[in-house]
Amino acid sequence: MDVFGSFALVLAFVCAVYAFGGGIAAIITRHPLLIKSTRQAGITTCCLIFLATFSLEYLFFSDNFSAAYVVSHSNRDLSTFYKIAALWSGQEGSLLFWSFLLSIYVFSVLLTYRNKNGELMPYVGVVMAGVQIFFLTLNNFIENPFKALAVPGADGLMNYVARADGNGLTPLLQYPEMVIHPPNLYSGYTGFTIPFAFALGALLARYPGEKWIHLTRKWTMIAWMFQSMGILLGAHWAYAVLGWGGYWGWDPVENASLLPWLTGTAFLHSVMMQEKRGMMKVWNVWLVFCTFLLCILGTFLTRSGVVSSVHAFANSKIGNWFVGFMAITVLVCLGAYLKNRDYLASENQLDSIVSRESSFLFNNLILLVACVAVLSGTLFPVFSELLTGNRISVGAPFFNKVNIPLGLLLLFLTGVGPLLAWRKTSTESLKRNFGWPLAMGLVAGVIALVFGFRQFYSWICLILCVFVASTVLLEFYRGAKVIRARSGASFVASAVELTMRNTRRYGGYIVHMGMVFVFIGLAGAAFNRDIQKDMRQGDTMQIGPYNLVLQGFDTKPEKNYTAQRLLVEVLQDNKPTMMLYPEKRRFSTTEENGTMVAIRSTLKEDLYVVYAGTSPDSGLPVLHTYLNPLVKWIWFGGVVVVFGTLVALLPNRRTVLVLSGAQQPAAQPFVPGLTPSATMREGHD
Amino acid sequence: MTKARPIAAITVLAIFAMAALLITPLGAQQLSDRAKQIGGKFMCMCSCNQVLTECNHVGCSTSAAMLKELNQSLSRGNSEDAITQMFVQEFGTKVYAEPPKSGFSLVAWALPSIYLFVGTGVVIFVISRWRKRPVQQAASASGVPGISAEMLERARAQASRETQD
Repeated sequence: MDVFGSFALVLAFVCAVYAFGGGIAAIITRHPLLIKSTRQAGITTCCLIFLATFSLEYLFFSDNFSAAYVVSHSNRDLSTFYKIAALWSGQEGSLLFWSFLLSIYVFSVLLTYRNKNGELMPYVGVVMAGVQIFFLTLNNFIENPFKALAVPGADGLMNYVARADGNGLTPLLQYPEMVIHPPNLYSGYTGFTIPFAFALGALLARYPGEKWIHLTRKWTMIAWMFQSMGILLGAHWAYAVLGWGGYWGWDPVENASLLPWLTGTAFLHSVMMQEKRGMMKVWNVWLVFCTFLLCILGTFLTRSGVVSSVHAFANSKIGNWFVGFMAITVLVCLGAYLKNRDYLASENQLDSIVSRESSFLFNNLILLVACVAVLSGTLFPVFSELLTGNRISVGAPFFNKVNIPLGLLLLFLTGVGPLLAWRKTSTESLKRNFGWPLAMGLVAGVIALVFGFRQFYSWICLILCVFVASTVLLEFYRGAKVIRARSGASFVASAVELTMRNTRRYGGYIVHMGMVFVFIGLAGAAFNRDIQKDMRQGDTMQIGPYNLVLQGFDTKPEKNYTAQRLLVEVLQDNKPTMMLYPEKRRFSTTEENGTMVAIRSTLKEDLYVVYAGTSPDSGLPVLHTYLNPLVKWIWFGGVVVVFGTLVALLPNRRTVLVLSGAQQPAAQPFVPGLTPSATMREGHD
Repeated sequence: MTKARPIAAITVLAIFAMAALLITPLGAQQLSDRAKQIGGKFMCMCSCNQVLTECNHVGCSTSAAMLKELNQSLSRGNSEDAITQMFVQEFGTKVYAEPPKSGFSLVAWALPSIYLFVGTGVVIFVISRWRKRPVQQAASASGVPGISAEMLERARAQASRETQD
């Protein structure tokens, strides 16, 4: 199977080269058969990458310990569940997995548009094939996951051997979220290749109008959704496994995942300027280019060893390849832009500073400033070492100081932006839209102060959260009220109908609501408390309203590890509430330790209990307990963000155009209630 | 106007209440753990890239030793500056959790503000340029009094797009 997989990878590389070279020839000659054959070569490339990936996964499932990659990342006792995750646990497999996910996107695009957009698709196909060639080069020639296990013989030649068992999977990865977090994050990274291919293709082809934006909207949103899920799942994994009581440490690899998310978010907003007003065309194209480049940069940071990180793969020379690829990409983008920049001329003017357009400009400004601030902070240690010889660390305190004010500004714009009208917003409209949300936010601020809230940023965050939530709810309330008055349906049904009529707008509002929940959770971090104590059996520990009693210890042998557990009884207001079992795990194959945090999670707070090892002084187990307020809101917010994105991806429910004086169709229950402008909006979202 | 009054009243009341409450100090705040506060300014040197007081890797001997050193130093009555010097001498400048606000490290602190100012300048420049730009007069450009059906359709589509949220 290793030979089969290896052969499939070589064939995939050949097909990708043909799709790329043949695609360029097809663009020049416009020969229909050549166009068709290069498209089919692209599809074949994807199928071959699928086969190679399944082959590697088969090697894991069949415990084939003649393959070096399987020996390094699996063992016989590893559960089937984690054998799936073993695929992307090392450099070689994760690069193949990257190619696999990219191929799913490329395959879907080539099939979806096989008979559409004939002028544009050959360009898009060439760009996608170019990206595939890069990753297939790495898969085939630099980090091949199908290398056979070999040891040097007495004669100095390499002898192929098979081991009885493997080294096992890194303990940190033996956690359920590691089976879903990397696929989500990689799907985000790879997904941004599609809008990049369409943007570059449209620029090269001078494809008319904003059609490329309409074509890529759903792909961008899908990639953004996966990136969001990947980031939050990674944060949850760090919270539940690493045992340091937090979820975001501003680690370079974490930062790398945030960078394309920030520019992708900026693009999803600014793209509306181009769709509605024909403005910001240059900006949008470069935002897509930068988002793609940041995806590649993130991969480079994770794999090159340029920055140190607990999440990074082992150092390798692979970084030079990424630098080369990024340099070529920048040159191609720059060349295409300089050659065809007149195609990107803006069509409209700005009528007023108090308008939706301005709010998008400032939203993009904040997102981009946050992005470059995180990027320069992440790379500062490298530059400081290059320029001064001293490596200066840039840790979480720096990033928090820089990004918290930016995040709050962004939250403010989240509330303001949707309430401003396109072109110009009147004073009357400002009063109508902002009066209640502003009053609600300020009242919430007063209540918080009365209850002793004195953390400045958290307090501002709370006010802004209430303000933004009020603006969103008011939008739903006003729209649903109109529909309810006309149709007589219940309020909830009216709100659903409202959402389904304009999924993009109201899906976007749901996403904003999700972000409010995330910010509520982040605001709670200012009130985290923790306590650490050496514990004898029967000892107690007090934190907040909880009393923790160490009732005993036990040892729980599992197939792949042995767990030492502390049996901790939790009493709340002196009433037994529950038992928690924080664990230390000893993995038999790797002789490494792992930890499993015990968490009692409520919307109010998380009681987070870590078995932090044995005290070298007393020889007693050490219990480290945290009380982290509002953390659950972050995960809940993430679910709402994903739900909102899915809603925004749905097509609008069809309604019939009704103009005053026009005859109304008979069987349309909601039609009489619609204003002409509302119905005319259909089809443009 | 009548609808706006209660909102305005609530807003004004809220602002006054906030001002009053903000200047009212709470009871004496509990003193924070000094070791924890100072430890939060250093990185753990186990290459986990985490702040010293937050590194909780199972079996991380580096953070344990560093925290012990910190506690011993504090119990000897050493100042924060002396402790900082001690760690910098032992581990180099990479022990800082945030760049010091002096020398070359100032660049790290200055960059975000520079980005913000330059970015704001660019946005203001773009806005002023857009405001000066003449509106495209598609209909009048034809030079004919009548408007073709195609142009009307295009104008309708544009109006529809622009009134869309």
